[in-house]
Amino acid sequence: MSSSERLRILGYEPLTESDWETGLHPMDDLLRGERLPHIWCQGCGLGTALSTFVNALQWLEKNQEWDLDKVAVVSGIGCTGRIAGYVRLDSFHTTHGRAIPFATGLKLANPELKVIVLSGDGDLAGIGGNHLIHAARRNLGITVVCVNNFIYGMTGGQVGPTTPHEARSVTSQYGNYEYPFNLPYLAAASGASFVARWTTLHARRLGWTLRDALAYPGFSFVEVIAPCSTAYARWNPDGKGLDPESLRRRGLEIMKHYQEVGRIEHDIHPKDAHIKLNEKGEMAEIVEGEFVKESRPNLQEAIDQRDVWAEKAWQRAKKALDERPDLPAQTEHIPRTEVQLGGFGGQGIMSAGKIIGRAAALYDQLESCFTQSYGPEARGGAAGSQVIIASDSIHHPHLVRPGSMIMMSQGAYSKYIPNLAPGGMLLIDSELVTLPDDHRADITTYGIPATRIAEEAGNNRAANTAMLGFWTAIVGAVSQDAMRQAVIESVPPKTVELNAKVFDIGYERGLET
Amino acid sequence: MSEEKGLLTGEHYLLGDHACAEGAILAGCRFFAGYPITPATEIAERMSVRLPQIGGTYAQMEDELASMNAILGGSWAGVKSMTATSGPGFSLMMENLGLGIMLETPCVLVNIQRGGPSTGLPTLVGQQDMMQARWGSHGDYAIIALSPTSPQEIFDLTIRAFNLSEKYRLPVLVMSDAEVGHMTEKVVIPPPQEIEIINRPEVQRGDIEPDHFRIFRDSANGGEGYVSPMIKVGDGYRIHVSGLTHDERGYPAMYAEANEWNVARLMDKIHANRHDIIQVEEHDLEDAEVVVVSYGISARTSLWPIQQAREEGLKVGYLRLITVWPFPEERVRQMAKNVRALVVPELNMGQIVREVERCAAGQAEVVGVNRPGGDILEPHDVLNAIRRAAGHV
Ligand code: SF4
Repeated sequence: MSSSERLRILGYEPLTESDWETGLHPMDDLLRGERLPHIWCQGCGLGTALSTFVNALQWLEKNQEWDLDKVAVVSGIGCTGRIAGYVRLDSFHTTHGRAIPFATGLKLANPELKVIVLSGDGDLAGIGGNHLIHAARRNLGITVVCVNNFIYGMTGGQVGPTTPHEARSVTSQYGNYEYPFNLPYLAAASGASFVARWTTLHARRLGWTLRDALAYPGFSFVEVIAPCSTAYARWNPDGKGLDPESLRRRGLEIMKHYQEVGRIEHDIHPKDAHIKLNEKGEMAEIVEGEFVKESRPNLQEAIDQRDVWAEKAWQRAKKALDERPDLPAQTEHIPRTEVQLGGFGGQGIMSAGKIIGRAAALYDQLESCFTQSYGPEARGGAAGSQVIIASDSIHHPHLVRPGSMIMMSQGAYSKYIPNLAPGGMLLIDSELVTLPDDHRADITTYGIPATRIAEEAGNNRAANTAMLGFWTAIVGAVSQDAMRQAVIESVPPKTVELNAKVFDIGYERGLET
Repeated sequence: MSEEKGLLTGEHYLLGDHACAEGAILAGCRFFAGYPITPATEIAERMSVRLPQIGGTYAQMEDELASMNAILGGSWAGVKSMTATSGPGFSLMMENLGLGIMLETPCVLVNIQRGGPSTGLPTLVGQQDMMQARWGSHGDYAIIALSPTSPQEIFDLTIRAFNLSEKYRLPVLVMSDAEVGHMTEKVVIPPPQEIEIINRPEVQRGDIEPDHFRIFRDSANGGEGYVSPMIKVGDGYRIHVSGLTHDERGYPAMYAEANEWNVARLMDKIHANRHDIIQVEEHDLEDAEVVVVSYGISARTSLWPIQQAREEGLKVGYLRLITVWPFPEERVRQMAKNVRALVVPELNMGQIVREVERCAAGQAEVVGVNRPGGDILEPHDVLNAIRRAAGHV
């Protein structure tokens, strides 16, 4: 189909003029000119973070042949979250804290994409902290750039998960009584394979690191310490309030301060990558550098390693489907037939019920509805399963008055026997269920030593199969061939012969009764 | 017999949850992100085994917030995506269901409902999230929710959910329940050529100069309910989308008119196309004096009491909401004019009954048959409600 035909079908009419504003700035092939000016305050570090990022992409395009059409940027909410809206790339401004899981979906659905999360400290380490550590743990092949300004800027300067101890903010006016995350340490401990930190003062070094981080195959995490000239600076030493003139100056002062307190230390343990205030509450130390570069398979590589197992499983499933025989459908009208199975965990009460249902549905071509008892009683202890078989639709999926029961433990017998319909048939493993003196006289009871029969055939776990053979012969709602086939295809391949034999014994015993 | 690699064409005896997963796979779902939760876990389990067999990817996320977001990302990458959950997880997904609606993102969210509120009854049935399905995320929007009654139907409706989500570009809900999810019945998986598969409207790489493209463009002829084409991330359109109120370009637009345009877009596409979206099953309505209006497992369990009532000579009809949202208002309104009463059985303390009441608007008596989560409705409770509604006490 041609483009024009496709557009006609879509009812889509392209604009007649270009929608993009370009030609204003050396970076504007990667910036949305029509969205500028940006919303950030004067003196804010976010502009530097953005231009450094764009620079790194341009470098990768030029020197490593990156196709920038394949780059997607995802942001959360906050001042940094607005970055996604300014880059001329496929870009997503998602919900607060959720940039990383959104990016996870993009990356896993199309591993060819280069996916970058650019968001703030509150977004990534506060509300989105759980996603951060899990993406690092998985070694998902994306880059997370976390711009850390120590505060919730957009909402007006509240204390956050990275606000230094004792620092002030709108909601910590008496000094922050909590302790902040050390983000490189958190990321590294969670499994990030590339971890670095720079302040926006070190824009060139940050740029070099970003190039490496973006090209890194595993989860790369870059923290960018950036001044928040409005919200953070307002509350902390030498804050000059909100006057625009002093805001710009404030930004510069902070950068100068970074120069004084920044200490570059590559390859140190990230737990030693401190950010410290002095007793006056001024920034006293920011350790920066590239701390971790580790190589281990990224998530996609680890996923791809399983393909061979998936292929084997598929071949097995296909073989089982292809090998199903054609058996004659049931021609008689089968009225609604309810069966209750009961026993203890491990006896195969669930699989026995399912086998009856399967035989009826797939081979006798009847309606059949199988349910099992969930809930606490299904763990360990008593196990119960139910099957309804009928020629007509089964509207009500629960047993109303079961006409037959297969009981393989004393507990199950006591629990279920009151429900058996008058005149109903009770089938028991005669060595596991002892009939009490007041056993119901209005029903017929049939017993075989199913567990012993199975044991003698070589595996006591086939006791349920013996009961199925017995039930088939006595109750007759499902045909013998259908049941036998359903048993064969439901048991472990190595036990097919044994189960078939045990089924036949049970069936013979049923006929003799 | 399987004909296409990875597809299990043929007859199966399947758990409802597994049937849901197979429906998704046949619909073309190749990305699933989820978090374990009873009684929906078996959907994730099946997807984790099956997707790698057919070139898809399963992601077990850290929580349901992440699951919902991940499928939005998956969908924008051009891959049909799904998640599945139950009550508590459904609540967590509400946040980014809203994002999916706002970004007009096709995907499917399955809720195997259990009894609530809160952790409630993890293993037992409920239909208590029906209003949450309609209104659960903040803000104004329209939603599509389908309600199956059996493993076969959850298979069929999961395919339909994908088709509707692709056609109208929004997350579609499959509102099933623990009873259907944990029930095993025969499921026929038809050959792929017998199934209608709808793919999203999408411009492809090179169709339009990227600077002449707008991601949320209104229709050329100003028609209501127009669904604008999507792109695939990486195709060079360099789009921007935002959960903020936005304009045609996806750019934040912080003013009232933009919100009006934005919200109208989300609601109109459902309203204008409601006749395509709404599906009901009805029978015995010609002579009906009482009509049972229900959905999902409660509709199924009502069939027996309806049958009994008819045997008693009561004129009872049946209207099953296969599509619960958008609510078939016109059908119910019209029906209410011709009958004496509408009986609405559901496993909650009265949710969809309110919609029925609203549409009946006093023209017919409306009677709820309710119990909260834990068990399906007793046939005699529904029967007695029908008898009373028919004036035969
Ligand atoms: S509030 Fe702070 S972080 Fe936000 S734009 Fe202003 S200076 Fe930057």
